[in-house]
Amino acid sequence: MKRNTKGSKLPRREFLKTAGVGAAATFGAVTLSSKEVRAATFDAEYDIVVCGGGGAGLPAALFSRWLGNEVIVLEKAATLGGTSFKAAYWYWVPNNAAMRKAGMEDSKEHFLRYVARLSQPQYYDPKHPRMGLSEWEYSMCEAIYDSASVGTELLAEKGALPYRHVAPVPDYFAEMETVGATGRVLFPKDGAASMSDGGQVATRTLSTACRRDRVAIKTSHRVQKVILNDKGEVIGVEAQNDDGMYRVKARKAVLFATGGFTHDAELRKNFLSIPVYGGCAAMTNEGDFIRISSKLGVQLRNMNYAWMCPVSFEKAIAKDPSLIGCFSVAGDSMIFVDKRGKRVVNEKLHYNELAQKFFEWDGANAQFPYLILVSIWDQRSQEHSASHEYGRLIVPPGLDDKHVIKGATLEELAANIDARLQKYAGQNGGMRITADFGDNLKASIARFNEMAKAGKDLDFHRGERGVDLLFNGNVKEEPGRKNATMWPISDTGPYYAALVTGGTLDTKGGPKTNPEGQVLDLADKPIPGLYGVGNCVASASGRAYWAGGSTLGPIIGFAYRAANAASKEPVKA
Amino acid sequence: MVTRAPIVAHMLTAAILAAAISVSTPARAADDLSAARDLTVKQCSQCHTFDKGEKHGQGPNLFGLMGREAAAAPGFVYSEGFKEALKGQVWDTALLERWLTDTLAVAPRAQMVYFQDDPKVRAKLIRFLESLH
Repeated sequence: MKRNTKGSKLPRREFLKTAGVGAAATFGAVTLSSKEVRAATFDAEYDIVVCGGGGAGLPAALFSRWLGNEVIVLEKAATLGGTSFKAAYWYWVPNNAAMRKAGMEDSKEHFLRYVARLSQPQYYDPKHPRMGLSEWEYSMCEAIYDSASVGTELLAEKGALPYRHVAPVPDYFAEMETVGATGRVLFPKDGAASMSDGGQVATRTLSTACRRDRVAIKTSHRVQKVILNDKGEVIGVEAQNDDGMYRVKARKAVLFATGGFTHDAELRKNFLSIPVYGGCAAMTNEGDFIRISSKLGVQLRNMNYAWMCPVSFEKAIAKDPSLIGCFSVAGDSMIFVDKRGKRVVNEKLHYNELAQKFFEWDGANAQFPYLILVSIWDQRSQEHSASHEYGRLIVPPGLDDKHVIKGATLEELAANIDARLQKYAGQNGGMRITADFGDNLKASIARFNEMAKAGKDLDFHRGERGVDLLFNGNVKEEPGRKNATMWPISDTGPYYAALVTGGTLDTKGGPKTNPEGQVLDLADKPIPGLYGVGNCVASASGRAYWAGGSTLGPIIGFAYRAANAASKEPVKA
Repeated sequence: MVTRAPIVAHMLTAAILAAAISVSTPARAADDLSAARDLTVKQCSQCHTFDKGEKHGQGPNLFGLMGREAAAAPGFVYSEGFKEALKGQVWDTALLERWLTDTLAVAPRAQMVYFQDDPKVRAKLIRFLESLH
């Protein structure tokens, strides 16, 4: 399949010079004249070059291959899967085949109304022809409805991603919907009953299909530059591997699926509107496509938002690669308090929305008062709600519990929390608990306990929405309990705590593409031969997290559309 | 009871190698191990930890892997697919060589998806993992 074009042309050193490649890792684009293109040395040549072998790249590679193209995947990490490997891998597919078969209605109009309302709530207008969305946002959302199911069915039919329909799972704002409130979530067929391990299953089935169908795969290859011809068409890439540079010519197209910029502190600091410490994207998600595309005159969009989740502050600071966001904040006898010892939020609010709380700004005091909250639980929740799944802070014995702070009494716990905070003085603005933390904590627990007994959270409405229960996790069975998310915290120790902040699953901004995945220039014209899918390009979702799997479902739709458009590209000289 | 033969064989090999190397190029052996460590950390630390007593990550801590029964790191939750395929087998150079070449060929339903067709890379990974005792 690989056509080696080595040998006839410029020696490697000459090529490097021509291409402007120095010794240091640089990102960007190289334009070659037609003479230089003819003279250039490529290590291989394919129809479509897919950069990134994760949740977007693997489906895009397969769709491209099934259209008869020769395809290579260049993956920066040593293993495939990217962020999606760590994900639960629910995928949200509107009007999916299982819904249609079960007679569950999900019209395009209802779908678009729901995503418009959540993506741009400030512009939402049910009477507007696009319900307040821009033309671009509307066309991108339409594409999700039109193509996510088509791509999903093709992946299933070819055995690359068989799924099961988890019909009862509600959308995260199901109460806003009259149609399609449940039924859109699919999950890899062989995944666990708890639906936490879909990423591992999907990575296995997708990569097995790639190898079965002869998609070439190179791991440990970090794409750093795109190569253009003098007509401005993208004709290949340069990737760094352990031995040096690897250059691939793309006859038709280069498709980026390299993830967001969760692990690049500089990009986070300059593009996100909030001070995020890190997140649970694959460690290789360092915004490579932002840097590469900066030479191409692209339009960066939606850079200020991310797919959010609470994370362990200490794991984020440590850049712990095994960090998983707290998708399920476990425990019933558990609360979050701020540095004053006061409860400030519904702890069971689903992850993307809970994560916003950490970034509330206190204008009078010029600070983020809730940037780090403290989760506190008792022995009961430790025994009955510990789990290794969904990034829970309450973990069973044997698992990494460096993030857990312990105390035999609340006083001892408070002192230990303060000591732990001081360890990070240079990274948390010198945050300490306040002098009245202990008294406030006792009062917060007393009030919480009273409300737990009554089964009603008068302060933050914990457990009142269906989605609060979806991620409640295991709790001790109690006959006749009125609220599954609340139980009084014990009067006696031991007690446990963990520092929590808001993090990113991954960012969701990047170059703007059209609904076919073509990367657009400043005039909104496609850059010939350049495609992008997934978290490396702009999402039309704004700040919204529509439902579980609203990352991966749309990605499958866009991967399908991009592969189809790329496949029709003319062969470039 | 886990058979001790592979460990003994491995220790003998390692001792002979170490002796040979120490006479000729001790610096190079250290360099090789250091390069092997760097490569392993780069490729595997997304999921694994390597130091004694370190906690498990997405995958188990790999200290003392060689000579250990597969799926036996205390406190790690192994997938059914991994246990079915590997339970009762002991990690030795040959098994690790097969595993790193293509994990799914050894355990088709394993969670770890890794395939390495470059024998030089596999040799480096194995070199470092063998040193974790």
